[in-house]
Amino acid sequence: MEFTTPFFREFAESYSERSGPRLAKTLRPDVSTEKLRKICKSHNAHDIKSSLKRGLQLNAALADGLDQQEVQGWVDVYVAYWNGAKAILAARESSGDDGQSSELVWTKVYAAWTELVNVLIRGYQNCGFEAWTLPCLYVVCKHLRVFASNADDERNNNTSIDDSAAATFQDDFDPETNKRQKLEDCARVLSRVFMLCQSDRAPLEESRKWGIYYIANLLLKTYFKLNSASLSKNILNSLRAGGRDMPSFKAFPRSQQVTFKYHQGVLAFLEENYVDAETYLTEAWNDCYKNSVRNKELILTYLIPCRLVTNHTLPTEKLLAQYPRLQKLFLPLCRCIKRGELHKFDLALQEGEDEFVKRRIYLTLERGRDIALRNLLRKVFIARGFEEAKDGEKPVRRSRVPVAEFAAAISLGSQERIDNDEVECLLANMIYKNHMKGYISRQHGIVVLSKSGAFPGTGV
Amino acid sequence: MSTWPATSAPSGVPPSTGYAASYSAPAYTSVHVRQSFGQSFSTPQPSYPAYGPTQTSSPSAANIPPTVNPAPPTAQEQSKTKIDWPDSVRRYVQRAFIPANLDASVTRSDMETKLKETITQANENGVMYTLDWDTMPLPQHMIREERARSLLPLHSRPQVQPPANAPGTTKKRKSWDQADAAASASASPTPPWRTGPTRLEDRVSFPSDRHQAGAEQPSKNTSKLNRADKRQKRNEGEYTTLREDTPPPAEGPVIGTCQDLEKRYLRLTAAPKPSQVRPPHILRQTLELLKKRWKKDQNYSYICDQFKSMRQDLTVQRIRDDFTVEVYEIHARIALEKGDLGEYNQCQTQLKALYKLGLKGKPNEFKAYRILYFIHTANRTELSNALADLTPAEKKDKAIKHALDVRSALALGNYHRFFQLYNETPNMGAYLMDMFVLRERLAALCNICKAYKQDVQLRFVTEELYFESDIEAAQFILDNGGQDLLEDRNGTIIFLTAKAGSRFDARRATAFSRVDIKGQI
Repeated sequence: MEFTTPFFREFAESYSERSGPRLAKTLRPDVSTEKLRKICKSHNAHDIKSSLKRGLQLNAALADGLDQQEVQGWVDVYVAYWNGAKAILAARESSGDDGQSSELVWTKVYAAWTELVNVLIRGYQNCGFEAWTLPCLYVVCKHLRVFASNADDERNNNTSIDDSAAATFQDDFDPETNKRQKLEDCARVLSRVFMLCQSDRAPLEESRKWGIYYIANLLLKTYFKLNSASLSKNILNSLRAGGRDMPSFKAFPRSQQVTFKYHQGVLAFLEENYVDAETYLTEAWNDCYKNSVRNKELILTYLIPCRLVTNHTLPTEKLLAQYPRLQKLFLPLCRCIKRGELHKFDLALQEGEDEFVKRRIYLTLERGRDIALRNLLRKVFIARGFEEAKDGEKPVRRSRVPVAEFAAAISLGSQERIDNDEVECLLANMIYKNHMKGYISRQHGIVVLSKSGAFPGTGV
Repeated sequence: MSTWPATSAPSGVPPSTGYAASYSAPAYTSVHVRQSFGQSFSTPQPSYPAYGPTQTSSPSAANIPPTVNPAPPTAQEQSKTKIDWPDSVRRYVQRAFIPANLDASVTRSDMETKLKETITQANENGVMYTLDWDTMPLPQHMIREERARSLLPLHSRPQVQPPANAPGTTKKRKSWDQADAAASASASPTPPWRTGPTRLEDRVSFPSDRHQAGAEQPSKNTSKLNRADKRQKRNEGEYTTLREDTPPPAEGPVIGTCQDLEKRYLRLTAAPKPSQVRPPHILRQTLELLKKRWKKDQNYSYICDQFKSMRQDLTVQRIRDDFTVEVYEIHARIALEKGDLGEYNQCQTQLKALYKLGLKGKPNEFKAYRILYFIHTANRTELSNALADLTPAEKKDKAIKHALDVRSALALGNYHRFFQLYNETPNMGAYLMDMFVLRERLAALCNICKAYKQDVQLRFVTEELYFESDIEAAQFILDNGGQDLLEDRNGTIIFLTAKAGSRFDARRATAFSRVDIKGQI
């Protein structure tokens, strides 16, 4: 809102209430263009500072416990916000008139907004901003990331500006430096904010440590976008290291917990640590707000492939039906796995390849082929029926299966000729991975399967 | 930005450009404060006693930022009242920015600096009204001329170089003036009691202020800031190699004048001298020479050294064309052949970027290598990324398809297929596959031992794991602790799988443990 009496009253009231969210609203950049224009027009560069100062001081009495230093800090913050608002307004207006201008308006917004973050950081460091005002930091940081992305997109789309010319002392040029320049910068700023929260030594109840998971989540999101798993690891490590002096994880807002667990799960997933990944993702799934479909969908995107690998379970059709996008993604694959249709599985995998690869689940889903193969072999085993029944005993399945029979099934299933050596190799794999119990006797060309539980976990 | 010449150029204080703004905005670079010490003291806000030694002794004071106040508007106004810019100057400025006169090799900020400097100089010398601005050379021409002049063997610095500029540009890395001393001091490990957030950066930035006081020079600030950040990042373990900051763009690419074909590789620690850099036509001759020498002598350390210096010369001259691709490709192949994966890896990364620029070469061959390489390093994330980058057409390419098949065979544990593919590797992929074929053999052997009872013929192992001969297969088993597993039965060698149990599993685990390569990605 523009810096007039209502604003000062709002500020003072938020302050006396110690209401962070309410105060944070005054720093939001995502307001209507109309409002932005009002904010910008309400002052000019000369008087903004003095009138802000006057306004805040006049209302300081109302704002219980607001001291001189804090007033100065907030004046700086709102001046920076005002500058940011001007840049945003300019950006919005220039995007309106579709001219391919050579000006990088979002870069300017990003710069102005970074300045706001810096001023806020200094507010905490030097002007005694208290921890209850953290939501202000959240709002500002959240939008910093958005502006950084905008700035990068804008620059990458605007080929007329080539700033890759910067000379280097390196032996080789670094191709990636410029593409995500602002987002990388944003990650650096956010990691400073992270440190700001982490290094606060105030007693826990009034510590900035309460801001740490919000910022960590934001930072992880940024790192994911930058494809930098190693940096994400650093964050997790540093959270783990600070564990003793931190408030209990369970005491943080549920939403932050869920987001964090999700990130943790996906990181473990990318490292092929499926057991941990399953734990984290399941926790995230259980705690996720029931109506946030999008988030549940995201969690399932990784949880489903994860469980396919850890305990060979497929999602039920009922579960998938609630998420049309996931249904489209996973249902064909799941069906093929269930029925042991190798060829169709390959096709389904190919069909969704682009999407799978993009979500980094391709390599995991591919392992579903093992399960499909197991199901196919199991069918062969069952089709062979039972040994001739002996009196009074339970019927026993015929456990000596010629390799040729498996070969026929596999050739049929995958719709290509596969020689016996390769079939043996696949069978050996099944045995090695404990999908199948038994052994191959090469001399006789048969597979001897266990009489009890030839296919563990499938009831046969 | 585009309206700049008409309105604010005459003020002599160029407003920030897009990029300038992003870096001049932080409060601690505020020019305004530096110019008026008195004012900052008189304001009732917390004051900052001095930028000098005190800041180190009192951390809290050091961190208090100067006030945030955008300088340009005020400065502009002041100068407007002072100087009435003659029309001739205005015309000159306008002429400089006419698109037809623009020069691609001169950046806008360079031009602006030059313009400002020219006009200020004229004003100070009192010739502003008398000078014939209409025939004055344009700033971009002046810059080009300066660059050309700096190529002369004498390496005479152009005298018109702005004084404020000098410390920042050439001496960037080796200057021991106060600023850098302070900067490097603050870069050294900070004691625990002053590891407060952003402290490092603040301290690094303050000294740069001191230099910038008079002249706004955003680019310098950029690199300062980045450097501090990078250093911080490096401490966090992000950078594996030491990377130096970029010098300000004021220096165009070097244009080499060196005529020697051979040159030893030396890591650059200062801006390269043109006299020591070989221009493209010399480098082409160098490449031919190196190809011959490689065929004749096969001296890898010499070749590698020479290629590295070639790459360096190409980089400092910012040459990125088909020839660059050729150099990297050849170096990559030679490194592959010699199993120098560190060097290979560097080339590969560069090639990826070069192909992205649409340069000619053998992208498919190297994309295939890239996939094989990631299989070797077991880097799942990068492998995923590499897969995501492939287009449908590329997936059909022979070499890439082969690499993809190798990957999927391994993913599914299909060693039979894997060793068949090993046998038919196109190009030089086999050098890469050689690196992980041992561990895959161990894995397959574990598989066989668990799945086959009671025994198999050694011949079977030889064929499945693609050994050259039974002897080689036997040797492999012996080398891995299977002395008692081979038996001669009526002239056929039998491999006792049942007896082996899980004896190879430990070796397999060791073989699959992390691959460590210099500069690995």
